[in-house]
Amino acid sequence: MTRILRALSVLPMAVASAALFGLMVLTFFDVVLRSTINAPIEAATELVRIAIAIIVFSALPVMSARGQHIAVDLTDGLFNRWRLARLRDGFVDIACGAMLILPAQRVIVLAERSRSYGDQTEYLAIPTYLIGWFIGIMTFITAAVLILKGLMIWAGPRLTGILND
Amino acid sequence: MIESAVGFAAVFILVLLRIPIAFAMGLVGMIGFTYENSFRASISMVSRLIIDTSQDYGLSVVPLFILMGLFVNKGGISRELYQVSNAFLGHFRGGLAMATIVACGGFAAICGSSLATAATMSKVAMPEMRKFGYADSLSTASIAAGGTLGILIPPSVILVIYGLLTETSIGQLFIAGIVPGVMGILFYLLAVRISVARNPEAGPAGPRASWGERIAALRGVWAVLLLFGLVIGGLYGALDFWPLHLAFSPTEAAGMGAAGAFLIALARGGLNWAAFREVMEETTTTTASLFAVLIGAWIFSNFVNVAGLPEGLLGAVTALDLGPWVVMGLIMVVYIILGCIFESMSMLLLTVPIFFPLVTSLGFDPVWFGIIVVVVTEISLITPPVGLNVFVLKGVVGDVSTGTIFKGVTPFWIVDILRLALLLAFPALALFLPSQM
Repeated sequence: MTRILRALSVLPMAVASAALFGLMVLTFFDVVLRSTINAPIEAATELVRIAIAIIVFSALPVMSARGQHIAVDLTDGLFNRWRLARLRDGFVDIACGAMLILPAQRVIVLAERSRSYGDQTEYLAIPTYLIGWFIGIMTFITAAVLILKGLMIWAGPRLTGILND
Repeated sequence: MIESAVGFAAVFILVLLRIPIAFAMGLVGMIGFTYENSFRASISMVSRLIIDTSQDYGLSVVPLFILMGLFVNKGGISRELYQVSNAFLGHFRGGLAMATIVACGGFAAICGSSLATAATMSKVAMPEMRKFGYADSLSTASIAAGGTLGILIPPSVILVIYGLLTETSIGQLFIAGIVPGVMGILFYLLAVRISVARNPEAGPAGPRASWGERIAALRGVWAVLLLFGLVIGGLYGALDFWPLHLAFSPTEAAGMGAAGAFLIALARGGLNWAAFREVMEETTTTTASLFAVLIGAWIFSNFVNVAGLPEGLLGAVTALDLGPWVVMGLIMVVYIILGCIFESMSMLLLTVPIFFPLVTSLGFDPVWFGIIVVVVTEISLITPPVGLNVFVLKGVVGDVSTGTIFKGVTPFWIVDILRLALLLAFPALALFLPSQM
């Protein structure tokens, strides 16, 4: 089980890391080329924008599964004392997952709309609906991951230990 | 106005139930926006924000600056920074604690996180200070306090987030952070002197290093200092050496910084495949969590704006006939109190949407307010009873009680309050440098 989960996170993390490294190399050469021979990379801006979307939304499901969202742990002591921590943790994950479903659907609708308009990026003519789809699908995956994680927390502590590995 | 108050109460309760801040603000913002407009308008606003934010060019500074900090860290710079500072300051009484402060400041110049600065420096500085018989209270306090410099000295992740939330220029914020950051270092050095004057045993003087040793120590850090100079100088637009004219946007500065840090880490041999992957994973997941909170905070801001919070607050302030400085004083009190409960990023996200419109409509400078907010947040990191840096340090060092650390931190806390008062009284301390850009 642990191995399956780890394997599932390999691909999105590799994609996110590659996009990040690409972003770094791209901005570096853009500045160097512009400053030395006055030849900036014209498509840099749109590539940077696509890279960020890829970084954020590839990492989002993995980061959500690992429980790395910024949260306030002020009341942890109370919940632990009342033995409600597990109930709460499961509820929080399921609620957060559920919250993402409607926006994700709407993102796909907007992406479809931009496809029907034939929207493209300025220099490289990349259809923008592809990015919209990617964001929408990854948001759906994040929702599914969170809901599944919440259910696993409720199902039993042994299962959650695996997730935290 | 009343809707906003209900909204804030709801966010507060959800956050205390441990709902991640991004989701708490996003959910309340969405429901509130639905109440003010319609569900259709609300869901469109949210999904547009998700799409636009995740493709915002200006936001690319976030992953790149985080990446820069992590790469430099992998290059093992913390030890060398400490050795250099030690070579110059170690022979003073309390010199090792002073060296810790300066090394923290140097480390903060490349790493944007206070907790990371405190955690990293404690591993390097703590054993050394123990060896020379420093009192635990002074040694831990100097690390905890020095660590807070991380969020003010540029490049600072929290200033980036403030700039993005309020649409204030990130370049100007960074430049504005320099003088208050240097003041922070100098004031902390003063606090060390006060501590050793009160208790000379706490920090005995070490041996004096020769100039040869000092120059040898500098050799370990010149590359990183150069990188810092390049990033900040480029941002300031001050690197004008014919035929090169380097003027960077924040994104470009961050890209240069990250690439430079990557090369430094590679050259120093601190970067094998596993370390590289670790840096990449940490950067991408941290970026995703910051984007999530930004989107949540924006959704919430949209709600309180249509609910008329800025006008409402301003109306209340005018009706009560409070002067701008009274309002600013009240805001500072709110920050110091909240700082005892919330960690810096949460506090910033929860408060800036309310206070920022009010503060700017009272005529205060947005860049200056950003610096003030960060300085107050820094102070909260070492304020008893919950200063987060103290607990991080306790976690790393282990065998020192939090009571001891807080006792040692008191002089540092006092000079911090003094610095805050100076910055409030003389906004030019922060605003002079950016006004020259």
